[in-house]
Order: sequence, then structure tokens, then C-alpha cells
Amino acid sequence: MTDFSRRKFFAQGAAAGVAAGAMTIGGGRAFAQASGPADAAGAAGTTGAPLGQAALPNVWGEDFLYQWSPPENLERDLTPGTSSIRLSGQTTPRFTNEEGTDYATYFRDLAAGGWTAVESSSTAWLSRKLSESEIREIKTQAAANDVVFYGLHCAGNIIAPDPDADRWQRHIIDSVHAAEEMGCELILTHAGSMYANRNWAHPQNWSREAWMRSVNALKRICRDTAGSKIKIAIEAVNTESVNNPWAHARLREDVGDERITVGLDITNMTYPGVAFRMTEYLNTTFDLLEDQIAYVHAKDFVWNSMLPGMNWAMNGTGNMDYETFLVRLSRLKSDTCMLIEFMDEPEEYAQSQRNVRAIAQKVGVNIHGTQA
Amino acid sequence: MLRHFLLATGLVLLPAIASAQELSGTWVRDGARSDVVPNSMYWTTQGVDSGGTRGPNTQFVIEVEQTADSLRVTDPTRPLRVYPLDGQAHTVPADTGIVDATITASVQGDAVVVERAQTYSGLPGGVILNTEENWQLGADGNSLVITTSRETPAKTFTYTEVYTRQ
Repeated sequence: MTDFSRRKFFAQGAAAGVAAGAMTIGGGRAFAQASGPADAAGAAGTTGAPLGQAALPNVWGEDFLYQWSPPENLERDLTPGTSSIRLSGQTTPRFTNEEGTDYATYFRDLAAGGWTAVESSSTAWLSRKLSESEIREIKTQAAANDVVFYGLHCAGNIIAPDPDADRWQRHIIDSVHAAEEMGCELILTHAGSMYANRNWAHPQNWSREAWMRSVNALKRICRDTAGSKIKIAIEAVNTESVNNPWAHARLREDVGDERITVGLDITNMTYPGVAFRMTEYLNTTFDLLEDQIAYVHAKDFVWNSMLPGMNWAMNGTGNMDYETFLVRLSRLKSDTCMLIEFMDEPEEYAQSQRNVRAIAQKVGVNIHGTQA
Repeated sequence: MLRHFLLATGLVLLPAIASAQELSGTWVRDGARSDVVPNSMYWTTQGVDSGGTRGPNTQFVIEVEQTADSLRVTDPTRPLRVYPLDGQAHTVPADTGIVDATITASVQGDAVVVERAQTYSGLPGGVILNTEENWQLGADGNSLVITTSRETPAKTFTYTEVYTRQ
């Protein structure tokens, strides 16, 4: 397993412009961040980070203090690929296995709204054991309405203070089995936080201890689900150690299992230094991770307060370069499911979908299904 | 013959110019007579109020200088705008300086109509925002009424703001 992972990672890293020199550091590998091929010559490469940093290459000269503004006359390659995108949304009602659910009606309404993929929350899903006939009914109705039930979005914190870490790791393991039972492709989880609440940034979340807790937790999850084909997609979150594309790649390498994939959430990896360099950040991320991307989250953001206070925004109206985002998704080897999330009202989800579809149409990217 | 005479003297333009009302002046926003206008720069979600809402108590002054050729607007809430009133599309930098915007302005009857198209955020890759502003005097001659339509694929939002001559 380790041999696979390292060979493949080196190959990918070379393709993505990751310098082998940085990769040869053993043990604690997460702490030698990827660097660009030109680092040895004193400059950063196109997709690598400045040596010792998880950051984009400098664009305003090594002697200039700030690298937060985008380069002038940035050329964008908007050549679309042939893969299409299925939209999923955190629309109401959410998809659950609540007793009495009329799956035929649920999937029919979902597809009518232009949503051709769906996920469910692990907590609710695991709270009830489904009969064989109900599992068949869910699969039948999803297929009949051309909706893909692709995964379970997991709650919990796999590196929470003990003993909760063990409980949440077992929750993830149970979710993998449940996802397999439903014919899903993946489960989604996170690197975790040293606080019980995963959304709170613990000061030690970027320590060796936290990193190794995440790595060991995921090794255990992989070991206890060995033989499963369910991808264990990791969603980056700014408050956790996996909050940048380089960390995604390194986590997979350190865990050493190809099922560790990426639940790509670009906005969750955004910080002030890249907030206005999203085209480059997107391209860097896709160059580095494209073969590992299991599915994606689609949000947008603005930076609208004195602190680095970025807030969620309607898709296509904020800092995200959605044209590049959609084009890069269309160039992946297979179709992708894209979850639109963090809206409030159903109408906002419909608005968001209209924006995404309009941008996709403009750049020649196919979005599966139609929106009424 | 008459047509040639009119063309030579430029008098064919007279009807359009004559019908354009004089919008020049110093104008104070009348919040009580205006719609509430949410922040037009940020479309935040999840209930986040990103500020910048123009409500009943929002009052500020704009300066308008209209000539036969242009409309110049000094508005404290946005950079200086100078619109050539030629009905032609002009490419100008968006306020971000990162992407371009296209503006088209013309006198149409009693109104000056200004159209603008650019990405919503003024950054690459976003959805296109088409804005149309309709500027004209109110019936009393001492008020300026600006009706704005903001269109994205997601939705179209129209609002009116009224200014009183100072």
C-alpha cells in the first residue's frame, strides 16, 4: 500500500511541479510542504508553494512584501473537457432514510428541480437500520429518476479529545459500510480538531501531534474497512490541518491508502493571501489533486470585513473564478457530483443553480439534467 | 433637400437633445421616497448582513453634470462615473481594475439610460451582472428619479431611488 502511494504521489508531484527535494524528507512529512520546481533556483514554480510554505508562488517579485494581488494580465485557459457535472444541493427537505419517506416522490421532485445527485447525513442515516426491501426501493427510485446517491456526509471529529475520537472513528467506519450497502461512491469526513467541536480552531491543530492523530485515525479507518471500495473523501476546513491543497496531497501520502481522496471545497481552503488569486489557486489545486478528487462542494465567498472575515456568497457573485472551476472539473477523467451548500431558502438554491448553469453554458461545460 | 439641410446642420439631433431633461445639479438622496436597496457589491448568504444597505435614513449627496455628450456623476458610494451619451458600447475597467466592464449610455426620450455589464464581483469567472439605470426628472422638476434593474441568471432586482434638488 505504501509503495503504491509513494510512487504515485511522486509521479503526480512531478507532473504538478512538486520538487522531489522536498519530498525526500522522511517522517513528519507534512511539515516539509511542497515547493515549486524553481525553488532550488530561488523562485517558486507555477504550481508549487514557496519553500517551507503552503502558499502560491510569488508574483510581484521576491523583494516585494505582498503577494496577495493577482498577477497582471493573467491568462486563463477555459478550454472545457468532456466530463459533465451532476448538481446536488443542501435543499429542503434533505435526503434522509426517515421512516415513511416516499422515495419515488422525493427523487422525482429532486430531479424536477435540476438536482441529479444527492447525499445524506451520516448521523441520521445510521440511526435506523434499513430492510433489504427499503434499500432496493431507494436504489430503484433513484435510478428511475436519474439521480445518483453518491455519499454520506459524515458528522463528528476523528481526532476529538479521547474518548470521543474512537467513537467518531467507529462512526466513520460504520458510515463506510452503510455507504457500501447503498451503492454509494464515497463518504466525506475531515481531518478534525483537537477541540471537541470540529469547527473551533484549536491552537495545536497544526502541530505534529494533531497531524499524526489525523493520519493514525484514517489509517485505522482504512484498516477496519479494508476491501471496501468506498472512497474516504476528506473535506478541507480552514480551522483544521487539511486546509490547503498541499495538505490534501500529503495526508493521502502519509496515510498510504488510495481510498483517501478529496472532497474538494475550494472556499474552505481560502485565506486572505489567496482571496484575490482564486484562478491560480484553483489551477494549482486541480494540477496537484485532480486524480484524487472524489467530488466537490460549490460555494462562493466575499471578503467584506476588517478581520479576514470572509462570508459565504451566492455562487458566481463572489471571489471564486467559477469559469475556471467548472472548466477544470470538466477536464477530470470522469463525471463529478457537485454539492451546492450554505444557502438558506429553497429559492436561494434555485438561484444558485441558475448562476452555475449559466456560467457552465458560457464556457461549454455540461451540467447534467435541466432546471425548471 | 430638407433632409440634406438637416443633416448638414446637425439639426436631426435636436429632437433627442431637446427631449433630454436637464439632470445637472446637486441632489440629496431622499430615503423616505426611495426603496430600500441592499448592498449591491456583496450578495452574502446565510443571513449575513454585509452592510451597505441604503434604507429610509440613508442620505447622501450626488453631483450630476450633464452635457450634450456626457453624464458625469460624482457619488460618494462609488468611483466617479462619466458616461458618453452616444449609445455606443465602451469598454472600461471595472472598479476592481481586474476585469473590464461594458457601458452604453444614451438619451432616450426624457431619460438617460445607462447600461453596464461585467462580472458580478469585478473578478474573473463570475456570473455576468447586467445593470440598467434609468435617470429622469420627477414630475415636479425638482426631484431626480433613478430606477435601477440588476439582472443575473439567478434573479432580477429592480429598485427606485429618489433624490431632491439641493
